[in-house]
Amino acid sequence: MSYSIKDIKLKILNSIPLLLLIFISLNGNSIINFKFFTINLHYILIYYWVLRRPQALGYGFIFLSGIITDVIFGLPIGVNALTLLVIASVAAYVRVVTVRISLFYDWMTFIPALLFANFIYFIVLYFSEYSVDYLYLFTNSIFTFIFYPALWLIFGLLINISKQGTHV
Amino acid sequence: MQTSREDVGIAIRSAFLRKGTQQRFSLFALIVFSIILIYFETIETKPLNYVRYFVKDSIYRGSVIVSSPAKGFNLVIRSIQDHLNVKDQNEKLKRENAKLKEKIFDPGFLILENTQLRKLLDEQVTASGKLISARVILDKQSPYLNSFILNSGSNRKIKNSMEVLDGINFIGRIVDVNFFSSRVLLVTDLNSKIPVLIEPLGYHAIMSGRGENEPILEYLPEKNKVIAGNKVYTSGKEGIFDPGIPIGVVKINEGKILVSLYSDVSQIMFVNINLGGND
Repeated sequence: MSYSIKDIKLKILNSIPLLLLIFISLNGNSIINFKFFTINLHYILIYYWVLRRPQALGYGFIFLSGIITDVIFGLPIGVNALTLLVIASVAAYVRVVTVRISLFYDWMTFIPALLFANFIYFIVLYFSEYSVDYLYLFTNSIFTFIFYPALWLIFGLLINISKQGTHV
Repeated sequence: MQTSREDVGIAIRSAFLRKGTQQRFSLFALIVFSIILIYFETIETKPLNYVRYFVKDSIYRGSVIVSSPAKGFNLVIRSIQDHLNVKDQNEKLKRENAKLKEKIFDPGFLILENTQLRKLLDEQVTASGKLISARVILDKQSPYLNSFILNSGSNRKIKNSMEVLDGINFIGRIVDVNFFSSRVLLVTDLNSKIPVLIEPLGYHAIMSGRGENEPILEYLPEKNKVIAGNKVYTSGKEGIFDPGIPIGVVKINEGKILVSLYSDVSQIMFVNINLGGND
């Protein structure tokens, strides 16, 4: 049971999505703040990987990452976990019903995922009596949607590199 | 039509109920578990609280370790920026120094202001002996909650609703206490509502967070004469906080009466907690 350097490199490459998921949760970077807008990196990461390579991100880890984010952000435990699982559910459904991979189709199906996730978020926080900045939530969703193709390309590159590593 | 409906059913079952490749749990099971967890958040029992404290303390420590490289990098960047801004800072300090010298030569103004304030509050400013200090270990500004985490919790007798000060200035209150950590809800948060007093006219108001740096003053009398530069203190009206703790000065922007805080909440590393706040 010995590993060659190539195997180790491949293992690291394949674990990047998972490491990124745990890192952004623990570091509190699931929402990246730029000067005029914010992007929810968590949503894009989960949607892309559950859709394109589900074996890279276990549902259990998505749940765990949601719990960590809840604790770091001070929200009721389970809110982010539920929201992220809703994103993963839409991605899993889209994966089952599609055959061909295309950026446009992935991008458009990301809209219902965002809508469902934000709806759940809103409902849970409303009943937990948390004040939410609705405008912020809206702009965050818009920019998360706009930035999806950029991250789609980056993650696609990662998949290609790991595929090349497997074939060599 | 029947076939299409069946297809959707099969797709949903396949996506939600099947565990899939290398998955240990089905999505459906985890969603149900998340809902149960959210429900548990509304239940307050000792064993559940202990589990919560343990989980939160562990995650906070993990987060401190993971974010330490980024924190170190930020410190380096900030110190480089400080070095680059030395000239500007020097000139600014000279101007401030000249202003302060002018004020020192006029102690009568300070005495008058102090007398007016004490008359308004009709109470002594207390709490100096009940303060403990704590370090800010995490200041991840959530988009939904402006708060930070302290390295002290129930182990140092911290309780919910205690007032948190930056030096002598009020910056927020404790909202969540664990064994070795606690969360401070800052006055800038949307969920923060603090009863305040505006000096020198003695108006009572509620200072509400807006998720931005400057909270807003609400429930002021209709024909108030609040002007920019008026000072804002805690009123102690609800009996939760001590009265007379400085918060900031009034700033009027586009007709909105805002409070410019004395403390820059993004730069705080240590805070004082008033242990007497909940007695």
